[in-house]
Amino acid sequence: MRVSLALMLLGGGLAQTSVAPALSVGGVAPDIPLVLTVLLGLRRGPEVGCVSGFAVGLLQDVAGGGFVGAQALTKALVGFAAGLMGEWLWVSNPLVQVPGLVLLTLAEGLGRYWLLQLLHFPAAFGDVMLYVVLPQALYNGFLGAAGAFGLSVIEARRSGSLWR
Amino acid sequence: MRYRKYVVLVSVLLVSLLLLSLGTRGGEIGRPGELVAFVITPLQAALSKIQSTAFGVWSTYLDWKNVRRENQALRTELEQLRIQSLQVEDTQRENLRLRRLLALRERLPLSTLSGEVIAKEWGGWVRSVTVNRGRSDGVARLTPAIVPEGLLGRVVEVRARAAVIQLLNDPSSAAAVMVQRTRTAGVAEGEPGGAVRLKFMARDGGGVQVGDLIVTSGLGGVFPKGLPVGRVIAVEDKGSALFHYARLHPVVDFARVEEVLLLMGQTGADLLPHFSLEPGT
Repeated sequence: MRVSLALMLLGGGLAQTSVAPALSVGGVAPDIPLVLTVLLGLRRGPEVGCVSGFAVGLLQDVAGGGFVGAQALTKALVGFAAGLMGEWLWVSNPLVQVPGLVLLTLAEGLGRYWLLQLLHFPAAFGDVMLYVVLPQALYNGFLGAAGAFGLSVIEARRSGSLWR
Repeated sequence: MRYRKYVVLVSVLLVSLLLLSLGTRGGEIGRPGELVAFVITPLQAALSKIQSTAFGVWSTYLDWKNVRRENQALRTELEQLRIQSLQVEDTQRENLRLRRLLALRERLPLSTLSGEVIAKEWGGWVRSVTVNRGRSDGVARLTPAIVPEGLLGRVVEVRARAAVIQLLNDPSSAAAVMVQRTRTAGVAEGEPGGAVRLKFMARDGGGVQVGDLIVTSGLGGVFPKGLPVGRVIAVEDKGSALFHYARLHPVVDFARVEEVLLLMGQTGADLLPHFSLEPGT
């Protein structure tokens, strides 16, 4: 299980630098590791979400050449939050997963911006939100919906019913 | 353990902050980052290769689909262009024929009427063409019919809006002709095989040679003088016979005639100078 989880995270992190650019629409690319973190957090709890977020965030930091630790921190928080949400909400329903993904992407964006502001990140808040975070949140929501649907189909095939 | 998740969270946050501070202090990723990069760089390269290959295959497939569609479209277009080209070629040929016919018509010192071939009878018994000019156009029996190369035949049947022209190589056709070089007279007749034969040429005349041009003599009152008929391709000297015989290669390709000129008027002039004879005809 841990090996498959590690492989999934590694794959997600690598996909962000290889597949995601090819999926970009109008210059907006999805944050695949974030989607993965949220889905894992929702389904597996805050610990897995937190560690997963940290791992994929670290991968992204290293691969992207930014501040190492920034995305590791924000994604770890997002993964933890998603895990907590999973404990309180009926998270196997895509109607929870998708809006949750959008909101958590926005939160991650806000958190990352705040953190980077401490490190003198020069971009304006409005621009970052309008052109980066918000479109990416919507894209992540769409991607998350597709991913959640795919997971549901797989699970339904395993259990014999569509929604558990 | 009740607070385990918070311990994990705090630990992860601390590690992240530590990495951040290490990174910002040195301005570089630092040793932990290098270690992670060392692991993921080859994987990134491999994934990138796989991705580019997959996209390449997909792109090739799309290209193939597009090329196939384009190929079909181009084939259709090519077919249409071929048809158009044939039509243009046909029109050009027709244009050329009509120009030649018009030029001849303008050169000739007698009135003519142009007609279009609307039917052909090409059996061994009868060789004729039907043109779209008839009684209503003033066409009469025995009206000579010519083409820019020379004599075609004469009208043998006139209908209201059409006329049947007996071709020179019809087995029952006969035209008074002469050797253009020696002015020796004879008769050109059609044969069942489609050839034209020169008959009844007096032996005591200037004689006839292979290559001689045969033209109408104007005798008999049907054809004006000087219409090119054909060239001698073989002389049949039967020794004791009273007359020379020769086989002719007609100047007119009867099978390809599409437009004709009907000579409506009469003239006693030699018409040969008005024909531009091509070498070999």
